[in-house]
Amino acid sequence: MADFDERPAKKRRFFDSVSPDTTTSALASTSAEQPQATGAEQGVSVINDGFDLATLSAVIGEELTELDIQKLKSLSGSNLERAINIYLDGSWRVQRSEITTNNSNEQPQKSILAHKEDESSRSDTAKTEARPAPEPRSNTPGVPPERYMGAFGATGWATRSGYSLLKHGDKVGIERARPQAPTKQKGRGFNSKKHDIVVRFTNPRGEEVGRLENETAYWVSTLIDQNLCRFSGTCVYVPERIRSSDTIYLQIRCYFRRSAFEENDLLRVQENDRPNLFESKESTGEKALRLRQVALVRLFEDINLHPTTAPKISDTAKRQSILKAAEVSDQKEKNKSTQPSRAVEDPVSTPPSDENEDGQELEQDQLDTLYKKAQSFDFNTPEAEPAETFVMELRKYQKQALHWMLGKEADKRSDDREESMHPLWEQYEWPTTDADDQPLPHYNQDQFYVNPYSGELSLAFPVQEQNCLGGILADEMGLGKTIEMLSLMHSHRIDADLLLESGKTNKLTRLHKATSTVESAPRTTLVVAPMSLLSQWQSEAEKASKPGTMNTLVYYGSDKSANLQGLCSGANTADAPDLIITSYGVVLSEFNQMMAIGGNRGTHGGLFSVEYFRVILDEAHFIKNRQSKTAKACYEISAVHRWALTGTPIVNRLEDLFSLVKFLRVEPWSNFSFWKTFITMPFESKDFIRALDVVQTVLEPLVLRRTKDMKTPEGEALVPLPTRTIEIDRVQLSQAEKDVYDHIFLRTKRTLNQNVEAGTLLKSYATIFAQILRLRQSCCHPVLTRNNDIVRDEEIVGAAADLATGLGDDMDLNDLISRFTDNTEQDANKFGAHVLKQIQEEADVECPICSDEPMVDQAVTSCWHSACKQCLLDFIEHQKEKGIVPRCFNCREPINVRDIFQVIRHDADPDDADKPSISLRRLNCDASAKVTALLAHLKRIRQKDPLCKSVVFSQFTSFLDLIEPALARDRIKFLRFDGSMAQKQRAVVLEEFRAQPKSCVLLLSLRAGGVGLNLTCAKQVFMMDPWWSFAVEAQAIDRVHRMGQESEVGVVRFIVEGSIEEKMLKIQDRKKFLASSLGMMSDEEKKLQRIEDIKELLS
Amino acid sequence: MSLPKRIIKETERLMAEPVPGISAVPHDDNLRYFNVTIDGPSQSPYEGGTFKLELFLPEDYPMTPPKVRFLTKIYHPNIDRLGRICLDVLKANWSPALQIRTILLSIQALLGAPNPDDPLANDVAQRWKEDQNAAIDTAKEWTAKYATA
Repeated sequence: MADFDERPAKKRRFFDSVSPDTTTSALASTSAEQPQATGAEQGVSVINDGFDLATLSAVIGEELTELDIQKLKSLSGSNLERAINIYLDGSWRVQRSEITTNNSNEQPQKSILAHKEDESSRSDTAKTEARPAPEPRSNTPGVPPERYMGAFGATGWATRSGYSLLKHGDKVGIERARPQAPTKQKGRGFNSKKHDIVVRFTNPRGEEVGRLENETAYWVSTLIDQNLCRFSGTCVYVPERIRSSDTIYLQIRCYFRRSAFEENDLLRVQENDRPNLFESKESTGEKALRLRQVALVRLFEDINLHPTTAPKISDTAKRQSILKAAEVSDQKEKNKSTQPSRAVEDPVSTPPSDENEDGQELEQDQLDTLYKKAQSFDFNTPEAEPAETFVMELRKYQKQALHWMLGKEADKRSDDREESMHPLWEQYEWPTTDADDQPLPHYNQDQFYVNPYSGELSLAFPVQEQNCLGGILADEMGLGKTIEMLSLMHSHRIDADLLLESGKTNKLTRLHKATSTVESAPRTTLVVAPMSLLSQWQSEAEKASKPGTMNTLVYYGSDKSANLQGLCSGANTADAPDLIITSYGVVLSEFNQMMAIGGNRGTHGGLFSVEYFRVILDEAHFIKNRQSKTAKACYEISAVHRWALTGTPIVNRLEDLFSLVKFLRVEPWSNFSFWKTFITMPFESKDFIRALDVVQTVLEPLVLRRTKDMKTPEGEALVPLPTRTIEIDRVQLSQAEKDVYDHIFLRTKRTLNQNVEAGTLLKSYATIFAQILRLRQSCCHPVLTRNNDIVRDEEIVGAAADLATGLGDDMDLNDLISRFTDNTEQDANKFGAHVLKQIQEEADVECPICSDEPMVDQAVTSCWHSACKQCLLDFIEHQKEKGIVPRCFNCREPINVRDIFQVIRHDADPDDADKPSISLRRLNCDASAKVTALLAHLKRIRQKDPLCKSVVFSQFTSFLDLIEPALARDRIKFLRFDGSMAQKQRAVVLEEFRAQPKSCVLLLSLRAGGVGLNLTCAKQVFMMDPWWSFAVEAQAIDRVHRMGQESEVGVVRFIVEGSIEEKMLKIQDRKKFLASSLGMMSDEEKKLQRIEDIKELLS
Repeated sequence: MSLPKRIIKETERLMAEPVPGISAVPHDDNLRYFNVTIDGPSQSPYEGGTFKLELFLPEDYPMTPPKVRFLTKIYHPNIDRLGRICLDVLKANWSPALQIRTILLSIQALLGAPNPDDPLANDVAQRWKEDQNAAIDTAKEWTAKYATA
């Protein structure tokens, strides 16, 4: 250990390479005149141990100066400010000069004596510090290097025995213990358990006498480590003969160092002005900060210093909360590290599955209450008319939203806001007398300011910054948030004349964070939305604007070649886009790119190089996790006005809201420590009412939320949506399908039973679940359950056979006839031609089997004899049962089911007169009962309403693959939209669907199309298969049944009778929200619950 | 149980456009049961006779052929003593495209062209082969005896 106490002057930089030689030469640097030596050594050692620099500098502040300037520069790299700070501090110079001269041989232990210097030596230091150097901050000129703060009593215990080590009235040095042996902690900077807090005190001779009690040492150590304070003590009482662990009473004076008021890296990390390097649960920076906070609060408490400005919360209560908040997170950390495996049972720590998010989940009823409070919407609030360039009709409540948003964006800076102090800060007065009532030297600074939530100290008056000029528009889905936002874009834009001026004010307010290379884009609104909604934003913007009044740019994929900085700058107002639409993915990737080039916004030329007039996050719950990179990237977008759109501002945690607030930069709530103190902590300690009350006060001015089921005072619905009727079509499987279904059902059931008996249900959960999936697929189409390769092989064989016989799945009658007439040598062909002509002429022929006239679903054999489809199939079945080869009822040619063709008479299509109106289709092409049912529905609708557009949802894209050809065969126009499509393609599809003048079917995968899209041009929805929770289906249905829908909406859900699908319906009914309620459980519980469901499904 | 459309149609047609020399009348109480008479074809041993038959349409008609039986005694190699008929279209060669009308015509044709090579009544067939004229005489005899009013 002794090695580390030594101060090897020559080898300072190689501190960790302990050599025998260091022991002897060690004492060189020991000197009372080296106040910062200890910390510095610590710093060096830590660096050499490979600890993260940012952490280190955060912890020990500018004491990095111990490194020579070369190293310092290379280390601080782009961070010149820090380098200057380090340089300025000056202590390294002192040390250097003295290192060579002072060679007094003292005990190794003394080497770390740091603070036993008296006032005079202190002023020496001050002199050396006063030498000219670049001033780092504007708030520290003319400030003494340290200033008396107050004094407090403390107890310590002796660490050694002896006579006259210390006597009453002696000056006592207070110093940190020697740095801990570099135990090579990996990764994180420090860990609360190992973090040493030992504070020693020494007698005037510099010998260690004892240590401060832990309770005091805990925060004193932090203040010393973080270079905020210097302490010096006086012995108040000490026994004559000291024995080890005797109690010694001290009075300790505290001096704030000047460096405490200088900007600290630590704080910048916290402020997220630069990216947070740490992804841990509580980042290292946050932790250091917490220590600092606690230390400051304790200090003020002990020296009995109170703020002179009255904060809104009573002082003591506030302090208590801060301490408690810190304690809780300390506790949490301990729980985590000591019993990680039992974390689930621990109510304080979060379940493992949610490791990346913190905060407890809200119960549903709590969430309801919260929303209810936030929804108290006054129907008599004033309305605002949108600007003329906005061409859409706004509903009353939308005009009210516009009014509210205009109010939020209005610049209220002209008020006396300059006078008001930042809500997070407290003002303190410097004491004028010291502990002994002696007057202190007077400086022209009477106050200082403390931010107890960030631990920041300042000498300058902390002005309340421009408050958030935006908010959260949380109208429920379907109320037209997009439209409301677009009306705002039109109604509040800055005139070209005012651009210059507004640009100035913007810069003033944001200068501290945005590097000067960020260009202001005074016309431009940036919309960040999930990828699938980009095109919708674009088309809505076009629809809502008079031509030429909304210059829109979709910034995505290959389209982002533009240099936004040049494009949007104030100088380029004529061409600058009014609206840039981009995706979260682009924001994230550009953020990463920007960070890769050192965080220089300007040179990147992308999204971050511009300060927008307004930024809008659509579906803002996307960033609900404040630790996610996307969230961090979004925080970094610069804009004057910041808006978040989401139907669910809180998904399931109060912290979800924090992320939005952080994005909006709402002071004081965007400070996580503040948030934690007043919201998370009370909530986690079950003080729900208080927490929710606070949340409500946060929400109220920020959030506008209306729901679809809100009623005006007159009892009218907010949005009178046309009615929606949901019909369940119970489909019967054909025998062939049923065979497949039963086979899979039995197999699944067998697997289940086997596993139940063996008790391996949980393990084989995935297998069973996969089989259930198969079962559900077999309800849709038996082919879905089969191996693709085999199916393909069969198709190839079938195609080859067709080639030989000249048959096909779908044959054009005209072609066939010409084929026969060209080839007239054979009688059979003549006959075939005759029959086919008969069919073509639509001659009503009686069915030879049932005598129906005309035939029901006329079908033709491969020998061209026709009968009703069903008669023919019955006949073949009958023959098969008798064990004879089926033969044609007419010519006795052998026939088989595969080569039965149905005569399809297509509805006349005036557009396509050329198209044949009759074709022969192989019968068992649509071997799926559901597809057949769907076609029947679609045909019926087409006859009833030729313009009606329909939307077909299935969760299986492979099923959509099978529906496609069936639609094609029936000449039903369709489009396809699924997750595999590129963004551009999706936009094209949606636009084409919308623009279709006539009936059309859109095939959507439930996953890709269930969220966000606007499909109000359709009137009919088909749900091909049920999902576990109806909510998901309902969301999909709401794509059509939402704002803007003007007709009644019909919904048909296809359910196979007597199948697993019916049981799924029951489960849906039982708990409306299976999927989301599962979100509240741990993975294990989820599994158990699902297994219960599985048992029921297979019952 | 309601009567299938096909049976109704066939019955109607048999009534409206009867085949010369053949009549088929359904029972009042069972519309699947027909009283049939077939006139013996000219230039056949059965000429001048009127043969009574019964015809029954089974449940799965027209998937299965109708059941037809001579009630009138007849001397014919393909018709046995009980009146059962050996005719391919009534058995393996049945097709749902065939109807009561066509079946009865086939039976009438069978009377005109006995086929002793595919016998049902073996003794008759034997006789027919050995001494066709004597057999024809017997057939005429029987016709006069049983099939004339």
